[in-house]
Amino acid sequence: MSTDHFKGKDALTHILEKKKEGLSGFSEVHGAEMPGHICAFADAMRESGFLLLLLWLILQLLHIQDFQLFIALAALAAPLIVWKTGRSACLGWSRLERLHRLIEQEKYEIEHHRDQEREELVALYSNKGFEGELLDQIVDVLMADSDRLLKVMLEEEMGLTLEAFEHPLKQATGALIGSTFAAICFLAILFLLPTIGPFLITFGLLAFGGAISAHFEKNRIIDSVVWNVAIAGLSCGLGYFLLKAIV
Amino acid sequence: MNFHLFPAIRGNVEIFDEFFSSNMDETISPFLTPSSRRWGKHLPLKATLIAAFFLILSFILSNPSLVAICLLFSYFFAGTHALIAAIDDLLNLEINIDILMTLSAFLSFLIGSGKEGALLLVLFALSGAIDERVRKKANHNLRALKALAPTKAYVLQKDQSLALYSVRAIKPGDQIYIRAGDIIPLDGEVVSGASSINLVHLTGENQPQSVDAGSEVFSGSTNIDGPLVVKVSHTSSDSTIARIIQMVAAAREMKPRMARFIDTFSSRYAKGVILFAFLFALAAPLVFQMDYLGPEGSFYRAIAVLIAASPCALVIAIPISYLSSIGACAKQGILLKGGSVLDALLKCRIFAFDKTGTLTEGNLRLTQVDAFGQTYDETQIFALASALERGAHHPIAEAICRAATDKKIAPLPLEEHKMVAGYGMQAQFEDKRLSIGNRAWILPKLTRPPANEILQKLDEVEKNGEVHTLFLFEDRLYLFTFEDIVREGIQKTLTTLKDRYGLELVMLTGDHEASAQRIAQQVGLTRYFSNLRPADKLDHITELAKKENLVMVGDGINDAPALARATVGISMGKEGAQSAIDASDVVLLQDRVDQLGWLLEKAHRTGHIVRQNIGLSLLAITFASTAALAGFIPLWLAVILHEGSTVIVALNALRLLKR
Repeated sequence: MSTDHFKGKDALTHILEKKKEGLSGFSEVHGAEMPGHICAFADAMRESGFLLLLLWLILQLLHIQDFQLFIALAALAAPLIVWKTGRSACLGWSRLERLHRLIEQEKYEIEHHRDQEREELVALYSNKGFEGELLDQIVDVLMADSDRLLKVMLEEEMGLTLEAFEHPLKQATGALIGSTFAAICFLAILFLLPTIGPFLITFGLLAFGGAISAHFEKNRIIDSVVWNVAIAGLSCGLGYFLLKAIV
Repeated sequence: MNFHLFPAIRGNVEIFDEFFSSNMDETISPFLTPSSRRWGKHLPLKATLIAAFFLILSFILSNPSLVAICLLFSYFFAGTHALIAAIDDLLNLEINIDILMTLSAFLSFLIGSGKEGALLLVLFALSGAIDERVRKKANHNLRALKALAPTKAYVLQKDQSLALYSVRAIKPGDQIYIRAGDIIPLDGEVVSGASSINLVHLTGENQPQSVDAGSEVFSGSTNIDGPLVVKVSHTSSDSTIARIIQMVAAAREMKPRMARFIDTFSSRYAKGVILFAFLFALAAPLVFQMDYLGPEGSFYRAIAVLIAASPCALVIAIPISYLSSIGACAKQGILLKGGSVLDALLKCRIFAFDKTGTLTEGNLRLTQVDAFGQTYDETQIFALASALERGAHHPIAEAICRAATDKKIAPLPLEEHKMVAGYGMQAQFEDKRLSIGNRAWILPKLTRPPANEILQKLDEVEKNGEVHTLFLFEDRLYLFTFEDIVREGIQKTLTTLKDRYGLELVMLTGDHEASAQRIAQQVGLTRYFSNLRPADKLDHITELAKKENLVMVGDGINDAPALARATVGISMGKEGAQSAIDASDVVLLQDRVDQLGWLLEKAHRTGHIVRQNIGLSLLAITFASTAALAGFIPLWLAVILHEGSTVIVALNALRLLKR
């Protein structure tokens, strides 16, 4: 056994470490398990709504006038949209680069450390309960085709799923739509119902975003909506009353 | 033999089994690191305590902004779950106390009574957290039982090697290998090997049985001293231990719902109050000269009624009364799993007792050594017998060693000391043979056939179901007989239960008829049932429960289904099996059965104070809400009346803390 390849560990420990690497590559950049443009949309919508509400509360405490308040928030909404969109694209490309590097690394290992890869396969499939002749046959078949072996190693060793990610630009478009939608809704309601509207629309956006995430993740929608609104309420309230206590 | 075992797989599967049997409790989630799992323990209680802390802080602070921050945190920690539960109930078209309390609490924030609303939520969350703990304890019961049943077994392969399989994958006809000291994982018939097995988990009687080829063995029993190869006769889902688990689960489902005032009353009360407040808010301005909005308006008064009618005192009156009693009982070494057990105790007219470990101490005591008419040197016999039995994990061996120690007799050094699995022990002492074990193994060792007198005596002992063993030294035979010891003072306790409270007392045991009769006579019981397996005990308890509510007092795993099925199950905490403790509602931590009289007295007193508190709470609610509705008193006074009644019932309940 090459200790260079396994870094002094056995094949099973090596596989577990690789799996962790793979999972870190897979982990969603927005903090939720649901990847893609829909997640980016829901997340950008919630964050933009929340930030605009917080800014509205702070600006009110600083005695900014009604029209000035509207202009200030509109001016703040524009960079917020650009920031959310750009950041989403940036994180998407960063993840894609990481995934490509992992594939390249695994391909190199398959080409240059075939014996160790074989050991890894034996450990992997032994761990799944295969043994004896059947195990040997499985390993032989997989080792015979490098492309298939690479796919198996990515999926089984690193826990990566192929063809599961959206292009960073598509993901960023989701974020662009989400933050723009939140900003337009917020500014429109601020114009129509300046006293209570911002609260209603923000909690509505949070509830909508929470419901979308819960729906796609197959989680309980009521829990997601209530927790999203409760956390936003607590955060905004904390910011508002702290500032009020100070000024 | 070769063992094929993959540690990583084994570890994960055990975690999954435990996780799923706990209804996916996050405190044992396989996705969390083991060190971080404890963060999820008692979350509702922790959240309630944090909410209570911020609420207290809001009363102390004077800056309105800081008070508002504290109230926000209090609402967040105590109210979020309540809000989710209320929305769930509403979606299920269910109007209940959850909705009334949550609605009142959040509406009170809107009309500027945030502290009262937060208080309502904290009290409600506290009550919920206590309920949650009781429910989790009940779930733990089945987990403990499942932990007893092995999840894996070594299956004998065609090439005579061994492979570790999940018991769920083992089919009838497969042969499994059971090591000495292991718990038998599946029911079956011994194919090869000889050993003693302890059926204490199944029958409650701590008396091992010898098994060899052809003997039937049951899952859940312990293989004591020799390896066995067993041909499996039932699948894991149909095994003896699985049936016990199913019985406990089913018995818990069948358990009569304990009397809880809030459960029966809350739904109608909540519907009535919400409907009334809603109608009042809409209709009052049409009938009376009143506005919809403003401090004198119908909406404001409707909200005031909702707050005044929130059963804050009711919610706290009952839990605090029971908590006080639970605390008082804990000081006496009696653990109550939930206060409503005390209610249920009052309704019981029958007390059923297990024999071994409950009415008796559960340990064997050597009662007699019969030398069949020969004179013998007691010191030598005890020194040799205890030397033979030293180190054996067998109740009979332990009783002999204990008897020798009591007599201050030291064991003698032996040679060629060895155990014959399933039969007994043998050794040499100064070139003389000595052995101890069962009749079938000892009698053929005699150089001449045993006298008729000896055979008659052995037949008699066996017929009476007395625990015994034979000791052979050279060619002289000694019969050791044992008995279980009756607990000290048990007769007086039973007489008190019978005479003072007029209870009917019954004994249920898996022991022989003769042994059961002897113990029943000693403790003064006239009604008893013997030769009962766990299923039989459960049947008897079910039959008795059809006539009256009853209490079951027991200690063994075999008692677990009956303890769960009884109206109230009481177990022994010191010597009792974990599954019995989990299945019961009351645990006597010091195994003092004589505390049953005190417990009954406490139950009577608790019932009395709970009734007082309910009356007081209802009176306060009725008065405050009627006055608020009519506009006779302002909202702040309604709130003071409301909270005042809460404090009074809490203080009244605290009286139960006294012994």
